[in-house]
Amino acid sequence: MLTLQIVLTGILLGGLYACLAIGFSIIWGVTNLINLAHGSMAILGAYVTWLIWSHTGLDPFLSIPLTAAALFAFGYALQWGVLNRIARTSLFMTLIFTFGLDMVLINVMLALSSADIRGIPLAYSSAALTIGEIRLPYTRLAVFAMALLLTYLLHLFMDHTRSGQAVRATAQNPRAAAMLGIDSNHINAMAFGIGAALAGAAGALLAVVYSFSPVTGAPLTMKAFVIVALGGLGSMRGAIFAGIALGVAENLVSGLLAPGYRDAVSFVLLILLLVLRPRGLFGDRYLFDAPAR
Amino acid sequence: MSIKRLYRRALLGAGSIVVGAGLAGFAIPAAAQQDTITFGTALSLTGRMSTEGVRVREGYDLYVKTINERGGIKVGNKNYKVAIKYYDDQSDANTSVKLYEKLINEDGIKLLLGPYSSGITFATSAIAEKYQLPMVAAHAAATGTFDRGFKYIFATLTPVDQYTSNMVKMAADAKPRGQRVALIHETSLFPQASIEAAERQAKAAGLEIVYKEAYPTGTKDFSAMLSAMKARNPDVLLAAGYTGDMTVIAKQVAELGINLKMFGVSLGPTLPGFVEALGPASEGILEPIQWAPNMAWKDEIFGWTAADYAEIFRKEYGRLPDYHPPQSTAAMQVYQRALEKVGTLDPKAVRDAIAQTNIMTAYGPVRFNEKGQNIAKGMGVVQIQNGKAVVVFPTEGSEAKFVYPIKGR
Repeated sequence: MLTLQIVLTGILLGGLYACLAIGFSIIWGVTNLINLAHGSMAILGAYVTWLIWSHTGLDPFLSIPLTAAALFAFGYALQWGVLNRIARTSLFMTLIFTFGLDMVLINVMLALSSADIRGIPLAYSSAALTIGEIRLPYTRLAVFAMALLLTYLLHLFMDHTRSGQAVRATAQNPRAAAMLGIDSNHINAMAFGIGAALAGAAGALLAVVYSFSPVTGAPLTMKAFVIVALGGLGSMRGAIFAGIALGVAENLVSGLLAPGYRDAVSFVLLILLLVLRPRGLFGDRYLFDAPAR
Repeated sequence: MSIKRLYRRALLGAGSIVVGAGLAGFAIPAAAQQDTITFGTALSLTGRMSTEGVRVREGYDLYVKTINERGGIKVGNKNYKVAIKYYDDQSDANTSVKLYEKLINEDGIKLLLGPYSSGITFATSAIAEKYQLPMVAAHAAATGTFDRGFKYIFATLTPVDQYTSNMVKMAADAKPRGQRVALIHETSLFPQASIEAAERQAKAAGLEIVYKEAYPTGTKDFSAMLSAMKARNPDVLLAAGYTGDMTVIAKQVAELGINLKMFGVSLGPTLPGFVEALGPASEGILEPIQWAPNMAWKDEIFGWTAADYAEIFRKEYGRLPDYHPPQSTAAMQVYQRALEKVGTLDPKAVRDAIAQTNIMTAYGPVRFNEKGQNIAKGMGVVQIQNGKAVVVFPTEGSEAKFVYPIKGR
């Protein structure tokens, strides 16, 4: 029973991980940027959600479109105005830039909101679906469902709209896409915006089930990185699978072995995978191979 | 020769005359102001710990102002005014060590007050020991400072290994007893020390440890750990870590429907954001605290209750005190009682009198064990009731009754 409970909560946790990682993966896959500020962008989303909730009382699940839209605008503007220029230089410049962006985001949030711990309690926070001894909190189920829904919407957008196809084309071969008349500046900005929106949505979900403060973004970036490496760059299916696998693995280790081994196990998994299958489970190219430009 | 040097020479001369007269222990400048005892300390008045350092100083200053208004300390047949010589250690232990050497060797201070923080006190207490001068510290909770067999270091605050003792006592005394205890902590120094102590205390009280686990710093999700804990069916959970983690643990305890009779955390309930972030899931949670203005202590020297202290402090500094200022004030009162008792300024005699301290202050009772730690006070305990942290322990004069077992949340 305990094992089942642990596996199920691991799956629910994995949904949130996946949502976080997909945004990271899209940004990396399309614009070739490793966004070190991804975790802080998620925390920014958490703050936006928290602000809306504390001023209007709107349920955080309902305000996700607002949060996502705000982060999309932020991401689009950032890529269009700044990152498109930097991306032409070198990988290291982009790393330095997103590292700096992380610092700026953290400190702006600190200045605006102080370092106090925040969280969003909901009337139904402690209610849970109970089946025998298994207990699945409704908020967790809702977070999982929402993460899957967002992923599905993204999948529809990518496969069935012109813009989505242009994004995918740019990810596969930026030069060919540009030759076919795709405006790569716009598409890159789009991709970064979508990635930021997903980070923001993940942040909103995180605000419901965890606590946050401006400095809590860094471990999220690490998680996103591990999941994308496991699942394969640019693969949504891979991110979902790897996110859930990581959630379950972490939970099994902390619940049945000892919480102290949790990170060790996830990083051993990562190392093994990088040795045995460097493209990740579902990836079609090596992590640091830039697409031809 | 500069005026300053001339002055110093004159003082040294005067000092040696005084020593010659058999009145060792007199604080300089003795000749100029024969009726003043000068204590010495270096505090973190600038640097990363300056917020706390300034509060520490305010507690000392409030004492100095009050005692001087009341005629000073009576040593033997004579009344002495009180003064404190301050230096700024810039929140740095090495600087602090140099400044204490300076206080002792250049300023001739014989009675020392501790610096701010466990780390700096650890370093400077060795100086006090070397010169065999008493040091009453007010701000060092980590036990390492007191485990070196030093004879001259004392501290007024409750050490970290006592953080959980009253919560364990409450569990053991509760009806029905909180028999099955679960302990979890972050793998860092302070949380680990407090939970290891909790384990000893619980075993000594005849309670059963049904789950004990550490989680790594940076953990986001505790549900697996808490599910494993739930399977052991604990009555009591004591968790130690910093506020963010405690918030998530409290949230997930509620989500997983873990029916605890009692739930204590090392930090959170009295800090901003905890109750707001948790809502009803915070109900009933306990936290140990060093001091609060609504505790039932009454100072035997000034006649102040803890509430009076807070009010007098607010009039003086324009804001309510946290636990730092009363901790400082209590350190000065330890010296006062010891000086009154021995009737001499001889540091060794004063040290022996300090070791026998048994006083009640607005900060709580002070009595030292052989290591120099204040073991009399213990921690107060607050509990969140209807969204507010109220003092439930010590029970005499507490604000509210300890709610046990905590109601279904």
